[in-house]
Amino acid sequence: MTLKELLWLPITIIWQALFWTFERGTWQYDLMVIAILAFVWIIPPALLGDPMAEGPGLIGLISEMFFQNP
Amino acid sequence: MTFTGTIGVLCMYPLRAIINLCVRLHLHPNLLTLTGVVINIGAAWALGVGQFRTAGFIMILANVFDFIDGKVAERTSLASHFGSFWDSVMDRFSDILLLIGLICLYAQIGRTDYVLIAALTLMFSVMTSYTRARAESLIEKCKVGFMERPERIVLFMIGAFTNRMAGVLWVILILSVVTVLDRIYFTWRELEKKRRESNI
Repeated sequence: MTLKELLWLPITIIWQALFWTFERGTWQYDLMVIAILAFVWIIPPALLGDPMAEGPGLIGLISEMFFQNP
Repeated sequence: MTFTGTIGVLCMYPLRAIINLCVRLHLHPNLLTLTGVVINIGAAWALGVGQFRTAGFIMILANVFDFIDGKVAERTSLASHFGSFWDSVMDRFSDILLLIGLICLYAQIGRTDYVLIAALTLMFSVMTSYTRARAESLIEKCKVGFMERPERIVLFMIGAFTNRMAGVLWVILILSVVTVLDRIYFTWRELEKKRRESNI
């Protein structure tokens, strides 16, 4: 891989994620699904102002465990 | 095999049994499609009253019908152009019903911000399907963009079962906007290519 290709790599990845042409059942599809599930489950509901969710979410739980305990 | 592929294969086992049963009972595929929409009214109601888990279970039931109708049509040789049209139209009703349920819920609890987010999600969900349908009347295929109906439905169920509907709405909204833009860009590019080729 040339330096030019290496520098363009992040832009290529972002472009391919936005201009989605991959089929279901590919590893790119799996990666996107993991990213979406991570967003849904990890982001604290309070950050999104979720009116119905209960609990702090995964990040909230971890931060409570490590940063708020005496 | 990818992990989403494995999940798909695992889900096919019980579905195959249901498909076989429907074929044996000679149920018309168009009736199965309609049944899915009618059941989705129940899911919309459950979402509207904030019973997310109940809505999740009803959505599973409704989408079983939605999934098997095409397979039953193939097996019974009842597949038709009208059946495909009927299926697409009923799918739009199902999509809209679920989001209306959420709009009602957020309106009841006075959350105008989420009423707006749900309404925009509704608009872009419909536009995702419309852009593809309209594009495919001009070009051969327009299958670009991530957020199609199966993804939307599975996300809805995940949101309902894990009580993370706000996050799910944001994901569906943003990715639906991107999908609509993808389809507009793709169609423009393909039509430009055609135009240039015809000029040569």
